[in-house]
Amino acid sequence: MAEKEATVYIVDVGRSMGERRHGRPNTDLEWAMEYVWDRITTTVATGRKTATVGVVALRSDETSNDLQEDPSFSKISVLSDLGQVLMPDIRRLRAAIKPSHTNKGDAISSIVIAIQMINSFTKKLKYKRKIVLVTNGTGMMSNDGLEEIQKKIQEDGIELAIMQVFSRAFVPFNLANPAKNEALLRDFAESCDGIYGTLEQAVSELEIPRIKVTKSMPSFKGFLSLGDASKYETALRIPVERYFRTYVAKPPSASSFVLRSGTGTEQEEAGAGAGQPSSDGEALTTVRMSRTYQIDDESAPGGKVDVERDDLAKGYEYGRTAVHISQTDENITTLETFAGLEILGFIHMDKYDRYLHMSNTNVIIPQRANDKASLALSSFIHAIYEQDSYAVARLVTKEAKPPLIVLLAPSIEKDYECLIEVALPFAEDVRSYQFPPLDKVVTVSGKIVTEHRNLPNNELHQAMNDYVDSMELDEEELPIDDSYSPLLHRIESAVRYRAVHPNDPILEPSEQLTKFAHPDKELVRRSHGSLEKLVSAANVKKVPPKTKGRKRQRETEKPLSGLDVDALLKQEPKRTKISPENAIPEFKQMLSRADSLDTIHDAVKQLASIIETQIKHSLGDANYERVVEGLGTMREELVDYEEPALYNDTLRALKGKILGEELGGDRKELWWLIRKSKLGLIDRAASEMSNVSEEEAKEFFSAN
Amino acid sequence: MTFAFPRVNRVSGSSSQLRKGWPWVSLFYAHPDNLKERENMADDSYTRDEENIEEEEVDETSFRAVKDAILFAIDVSSSMLEPRLSEGSKKSGEESPTSAALKCAYHLMQQRIISNPHDMIGVLLYGTESSKFYDEDGEHGGDLSYPHCYLFTDLDIPSAQEVKELRALAEDEEEARKILKPSKERVSMANVLFCANQIFTSKAPNFLSRRLFIVTDDDNPHGDSKSQRSAATVRARDLYDLGVNIELFPISRPDHEFDTSKFYDDIIYKTSPSDGEAPAYLQPDTNTSTAKGDGISLLNSLLSSINSRSVPRRSLFSNVPLEIGPNFKISVNGYLLLKRQEPARSCYVWLGGETPQIAKGVTTQMADDTARTVEKSEIRKAYKFGGEQVSFTLEELQALRNFGDPVIRIIGFKPLSALPIWANVKHPSFIYPSEEDYVGSTRVFSALYQKLLKDKKIALVWFIPRKNAAPVLGAMVAGDERIDENDVQKVPPGMWIIPLPFADDVRQNPESSMNVSPDSLTDAMRQVIGQLQLPKAVYEPHKYPNPALQWHYRILQALALDEDHPGEPEDKTKPKYRQIDKRAGDYVLAWSDELDATFSKMFGGTAATKSTLVKRGPKDGADSAGDPPAKRVKIEDSTGGAESEVKRCYEKGMLSKLTVAVLKDFLVAQGRSAAGKKADLVDRVEQFFEQK
Repeated sequence: MAEKEATVYIVDVGRSMGERRHGRPNTDLEWAMEYVWDRITTTVATGRKTATVGVVALRSDETSNDLQEDPSFSKISVLSDLGQVLMPDIRRLRAAIKPSHTNKGDAISSIVIAIQMINSFTKKLKYKRKIVLVTNGTGMMSNDGLEEIQKKIQEDGIELAIMQVFSRAFVPFNLANPAKNEALLRDFAESCDGIYGTLEQAVSELEIPRIKVTKSMPSFKGFLSLGDASKYETALRIPVERYFRTYVAKPPSASSFVLRSGTGTEQEEAGAGAGQPSSDGEALTTVRMSRTYQIDDESAPGGKVDVERDDLAKGYEYGRTAVHISQTDENITTLETFAGLEILGFIHMDKYDRYLHMSNTNVIIPQRANDKASLALSSFIHAIYEQDSYAVARLVTKEAKPPLIVLLAPSIEKDYECLIEVALPFAEDVRSYQFPPLDKVVTVSGKIVTEHRNLPNNELHQAMNDYVDSMELDEEELPIDDSYSPLLHRIESAVRYRAVHPNDPILEPSEQLTKFAHPDKELVRRSHGSLEKLVSAANVKKVPPKTKGRKRQRETEKPLSGLDVDALLKQEPKRTKISPENAIPEFKQMLSRADSLDTIHDAVKQLASIIETQIKHSLGDANYERVVEGLGTMREELVDYEEPALYNDTLRALKGKILGEELGGDRKELWWLIRKSKLGLIDRAASEMSNVSEEEAKEFFSAN
Repeated sequence: MTFAFPRVNRVSGSSSQLRKGWPWVSLFYAHPDNLKERENMADDSYTRDEENIEEEEVDETSFRAVKDAILFAIDVSSSMLEPRLSEGSKKSGEESPTSAALKCAYHLMQQRIISNPHDMIGVLLYGTESSKFYDEDGEHGGDLSYPHCYLFTDLDIPSAQEVKELRALAEDEEEARKILKPSKERVSMANVLFCANQIFTSKAPNFLSRRLFIVTDDDNPHGDSKSQRSAATVRARDLYDLGVNIELFPISRPDHEFDTSKFYDDIIYKTSPSDGEAPAYLQPDTNTSTAKGDGISLLNSLLSSINSRSVPRRSLFSNVPLEIGPNFKISVNGYLLLKRQEPARSCYVWLGGETPQIAKGVTTQMADDTARTVEKSEIRKAYKFGGEQVSFTLEELQALRNFGDPVIRIIGFKPLSALPIWANVKHPSFIYPSEEDYVGSTRVFSALYQKLLKDKKIALVWFIPRKNAAPVLGAMVAGDERIDENDVQKVPPGMWIIPLPFADDVRQNPESSMNVSPDSLTDAMRQVIGQLQLPKAVYEPHKYPNPALQWHYRILQALALDEDHPGEPEDKTKPKYRQIDKRAGDYVLAWSDELDATFSKMFGGTAATKSTLVKRGPKDGADSAGDPPAKRVKIEDSTGGAESEVKRCYEKGMLSKLTVAVLKDFLVAQGRSAAGKKADLVDRVEQFFEQK
């Protein structure tokens, strides 16, 4: 478990903190609070009760602290005692921390108060104690009893950090003894092993994401074995343990909520604004899933009936057959396995394709406190390393778990030796999609061609060669250590930010997160010449968006032999009327033969009426997919033939009939399917010839 | 991956829904493995959706359903039924082309139940004497729509019964003889094609991929009959316009090479511009090597070429710009060539009717306070923070996920050797150029690919595969083409994007004691390793079917067909123990001696050892009867003793006298679960000895 923490933040809220400096848009206090809020919300985000925080205001209008009897502790108020900070505290603090009307109040005294707070809260228990003071150092400070305070801080093991709001170079001359104060604070901090720094530095460090360190637990403890120890005396077994080497850190996950009924509407009207959550989250209620179970039943309206849970058994699908499994047979489909890491054999390093890695990686290390095991494993690691080999092994992490095939690679560093383990694909994990070679072209006639527009010529080869070499990264290693999960840190910081600034819009990702989104500027500058040569040798042309996805040229629609099937089709006398059973091909063929707009009109009319008949005669949703296919084909073709109006008219008429229940009753589900399939009106974005705007097309679908 | 159940429902809110410990309907839920990482119920379906978006192969542009339907059209003629002997083969090999085709269809059907559980498959025999098409069977009079076409398995997701029937047809001669009778009259190819057309039109409407696999040895079914030919040509065009792809699996006759130019070149379409120099892949595979030869090799080559086309090529993302330099882009498509195949999740089966039926779950979202149904647009997403929720609108949440448009942007190059073996988090994506957005993409991609391959370099890329996908840093690696022994491509040429871990994803190495092996000991181990190379020193995935996955479906098949328990599972992932002993046994013993010697030299017996390093043989222990006199591995640590102690107690029936710690140690050492109470442990130890 993580150590208990007690941290007191002392914020200087003196009048002078309300000033703006160096052209910054926010006041010193606001700027300082960026830092303080970030620290506090990071603690809150852990959700730990034992990570306690207290907040003290220095140079406040009021005085409120345990030592307030003593005048030297005036103008210091404890805003929040040590404890777990929750959202209501954040809201309260946000309201309380404002520039005051005074510049009085002693920073050193406030530290004494903080020590006092920590003392009475933590008693003698084990705690990580810390005081953070943020000030512009312009108040009056007394150095009375400084040594005693220092001693106390050190005795109690309190870590002290003092943040100076501005750097020395910009100290405005009209303030009281800034240089003297600075020296005092610096000496003070340093004399009790604390930190003294500028806020500028601290704020800039906020940009660097903090990585959560997770302690790994072993995911397997057992033997690395060679041979079957139960049958052969020559079997070799080394006791080992397995831990994560990599494991993807997932961003926090969000839950679903809706506004609480009743209060919800008021809340929204109360000025929280469109969609903005109000600063008090009270009005939200969780969303629950309710589940019912249905089976197909042709006799029921809608073709489905609800069934009782009690009539349900667990099972699996085998094809479309339902196989149920009785509770006593629960594990019947589980393969019997026993835990172990068993070596199958060895492969050559150079013959391993790196892309076969299927999973995160793990380390295999010798059993703890077993020197013989560590010696034995070391000999294995060194031997496969010297043989340029990897081992292939079968891993079962626990009894009855499915086996995995894993690769074991040697990893030898100066002070650490282990095997790196990663999952390999099984036969079923490999999909054989075929692609043509990239270094030659095989033509239809079977000829091998080495000069072709799809192949680079010598000039392009050379230019690519030079460009790749010029873009070589300088760093020795891949930048894994400075790359941070953009999504994870962006969401985490957005949550922290919103907690404090509920009405602000979300922020752009910080620079650190997108550092690797683009090549380094210097590298780009250096390779600029090579790139220009490459671009000219490549001669790549962007396809204008207009012609993209346009209908293929008709003459390409020929079989391999190049036979003119269109000519044959023309001879078929019966094909002037589209037959319902072969509607899609005949519709397409009719369009391709069309020599007048009338024919196109006619084809569309015929197909539309076939579609309507299909709807009318559809038993439940039986024909819906056919309808969607017919409509989709019509839409695609008419976009290609630049006759969007024909489709749009058809669809408008169809919508009327569907929603008017003229096509065999309630067909709303079909309309929903048409929407889902995005078969709406053809708008101007889809076809230049259309007179329907994008808004209109949207409107057409949204209104029922 | 696991099939263990009941599925622990971490995501349910209310216990009333957990009656009787029913497992949850998996339709709703993430795989239990994934659940471990989650904390919170309401998240689950949402997160799962997101994950699906990450992995599913989608076509955003089309209204068509992303499904595949394959209809086998198998020629049943006397020459197709003529058995071909396999000479020199150990198996008594007699295989006719038709039965080979049926076996392939059966194999593919079984395979697709596992790999594509929502895709359809059907088998149409043609040239048969009898005919069958839906409600027509040719026996009750009336005109036949499709004479000599026999729809053996209707196009659908196969049922267990259909699997069984097809297996019977492929393997049971008696069954086959009834149906596989060639007709005397020649079947009309036009009719066969239109029959297929009707099957696709009615059974697989709106499928993105519909494929007709024709298996035949007749390269010229209609000879010189011009009208028959042109009728067939027109029907083939209908299929083309319907979006059905014809894939031909030609079989050469012993005395005649199959010649596609005689008939099939008029039937099969290419999808590219009619450019004589067009790359071959743009046309359907008529150039696949024709299957020929004797029975077994015929079956194998047919299997190999059908397997290579078992799944339609679906892209993971399409036309994503590959940005080679600032303002220099080409376009590529992405594919998932490697993806862990998991068994389908369990589901609920309704037992209230005559036949069991899958029950579908319908989810409604309700507000917790009033139980009213909630519209999607009302939902806000919130994170737990400081005891409350910090909320965002769906739009804001989407904006937070947005790091720009999809792109693969090269930010520099490094030698391949700079990519550490541990730097991996998941399977890679495969990319191949597309000319759709940028003409010339292929040649530029080719130049880059060849350069990276030649110089063994990788590109470091910023990778956003699709809109709102989380960006990753990836290593782009060039992969060479690989061909199998049947000349079928095994691994395509192209580039692989390997997602790299972020700093957040890298775990610290756990503490570990290090004792570096001296050369003498390492050398002894090298001797062992040298004996045990896998064939060709390569890992071949296709040799290792996933035993747990296969077993799962094998059992389901047996249950569905009410067959006997299949007995022992076949597991090719088990090491070849006998060979290991034979080849490396002596070297292991030598290494073990060296280890002991080194160890006592280094530590003089003071070091900590907890466990056996070299295991004694089973005979070693209590009964010394058959002890080989040969040199034995000396072990003087405690566990070895403890093991024989456990065995002794077992034999005397006194296991319960042993302490829980001893029992646990023993079980763990045998790879057995050590969970549960003492009685469970004793049971398990007993089981262990009984099995031996």
